[in-house]
Amino acid sequence: MEELRSDWQAEEVAPEEAPVLVAVMNNQRDFEIARQDGWYRIPVKHAPRRLGAEYLAFYQTKAFGEEGWAVNYYASIRRVHLVQRWDLLPQEADHPRADDWYYKIEIGPLQRLPHSIPSQRLRRITFIPTTLARLLSAGEINDLWLGSEEEERLWEAFKRNEIRVERRVFLREGDEAYLIDFAALCRRGKVAILCGGSGPLGEGSGLRERPAADYELAAAGWKVMRFSPQQIEASLEDCLALVQQAIAQEGGLLEGSDYSSAMEQGLPPAEGW
Amino acid sequence: MIHLGFPVKVLDVAGLKSHDTRRWRNDPHLSVSLAYLRDTLGYLRQQEIHFYRLSPELAPYATHPDFPQFHNQIAECQRELAAVGEIARADGVRLSVHPGQYVVLNAPEEQLAERARREVIHQARLLGAMGLGPEAVVVLHVGGVYGDHRAARERFVRQVEMLSLEARRRLAVENDDHRFSVDDCLWIHGRTGLPLTFDYLHFRSNNPEGMSLVEALACCLATWPANVPPKVHFSSPRTAMVVIEQRDAMSDRVRRRTRAPQPTQHADYVDPFAFTDFLRAAWSTELPDFDVMLEVKARDLALLRLREDMARFAPDMARRLV
Repeated sequence: MEELRSDWQAEEVAPEEAPVLVAVMNNQRDFEIARQDGWYRIPVKHAPRRLGAEYLAFYQTKAFGEEGWAVNYYASIRRVHLVQRWDLLPQEADHPRADDWYYKIEIGPLQRLPHSIPSQRLRRITFIPTTLARLLSAGEINDLWLGSEEEERLWEAFKRNEIRVERRVFLREGDEAYLIDFAALCRRGKVAILCGGSGPLGEGSGLRERPAADYELAAAGWKVMRFSPQQIEASLEDCLALVQQAIAQEGGLLEGSDYSSAMEQGLPPAEGW
Repeated sequence: MIHLGFPVKVLDVAGLKSHDTRRWRNDPHLSVSLAYLRDTLGYLRQQEIHFYRLSPELAPYATHPDFPQFHNQIAECQRELAAVGEIARADGVRLSVHPGQYVVLNAPEEQLAERARREVIHQARLLGAMGLGPEAVVVLHVGGVYGDHRAARERFVRQVEMLSLEARRRLAVENDDHRFSVDDCLWIHGRTGLPLTFDYLHFRSNNPEGMSLVEALACCLATWPANVPPKVHFSSPRTAMVVIEQRDAMSDRVRRRTRAPQPTQHADYVDPFAFTDFLRAAWSTELPDFDVMLEVKARDLALLRLREDMARFAPDMARRLV
């Protein structure tokens, strides 16, 4: 009895496995609030499925100039309280969302990461649940997502072969959203690469989220490639060759920020939450 | 309808914690635990699971005598507790809690007993602050024997009488695997009115009175108020060989040795055939429905597997399980 009881209740995790929530930071004022006053806010109705974490990291948008399109700072989470917007920002008591409920995430001092984690494609992002180990070792944004074993293998193989796809792309359709494990946006078309199940949904669109069906993707103009865990395990090189072939057929990958609006998630308004 | 539940840690989702596990130096807090609990409730909704055991450390160090800075967490999180409770109620999730092994209400030392009382009262307050109904219970073992079995039972009864009314209303007593049997718990019920959580594996391990399974189960179910579904624990004994790895300091090589499992150890998954037999026995005598907490190490994975097994091997019963 005691063996089992203690086993159930012992849940101390290694520090590097501490959960981290990466959240968008899209204006200087909110950054100053985080730095000086020690808090960040997320509207309850747009909160990600994974809110609980020990650390909060910030993906800064283009509003931050040279620091933009990258994660540069993180902080430990101290408290998570529910408050209304007028209570958070009393100087904006007449704001249209003044009565809305927010998670006020109180944080410790901002710490600069040893190196910046850029989005190579200047991607728009709301939330990414990850771990401290990933945050401290990621070379780019796509390294932050925690995927299934197969997804991780495929991602590492894409990187080794310089196949510059984007991970975890959410597509919106009405009040629903569905997920593509890897998206290759090409000059003449779009390729969706799926590896069966992948990780948790719910990076915070506030929409109902579900896996994508092939016919839905095809209807939205995507060329769909699905790889089973067995295919990835047994013939990874063949999978890569098929992806490269499909990208070539679609005219090669797009570069820079030339991205389809289909890539965008349920993002905060330009002035912030 | 029977609700299946699992304790504390979600295994199916990497990194989803049951509570803020940081040590006191890092200032953990109930509000952070409640953010994890909110996420866990989202997972339960996705899997259509309606029964879950909370971590007893949801409010870290909340009753620790050396850390008074942590003692006010429930008051600091009234709004967040109510919000999480509202999610649980809206999703029809029954929540319960099982305080840790250091909570020994019948300890002869007053200092230990007082600490246990404080912990039970705290857990009951937490469930109350979530606005949960009487089905949200604090399950506790009787405790230690301390050389006098009868006196230990009586001391437990006296300690229960010293609890707050709120705590007494939430408390349920569970039979254990070698000290206090179902019959002992019935004796306690007769003096306190506390409902009894029947633990199947403990009953099979510790039944000196030779009660039949149906008789013991029926007696425990009858201790629950009419408006509260009884709560039962089910698990299978571990039969797998235990492999122990030890590094040899001289050669630096890892040596493996094996031993038999302890007879009262819990298995990773549920034996679906034993579970089927258990339910058939319960249903053959038209006992009232009850909720089943699966006390197995694979937790939610075991619950999901049991659903599959029941659908395959006992589809008629599977229809009555949620």
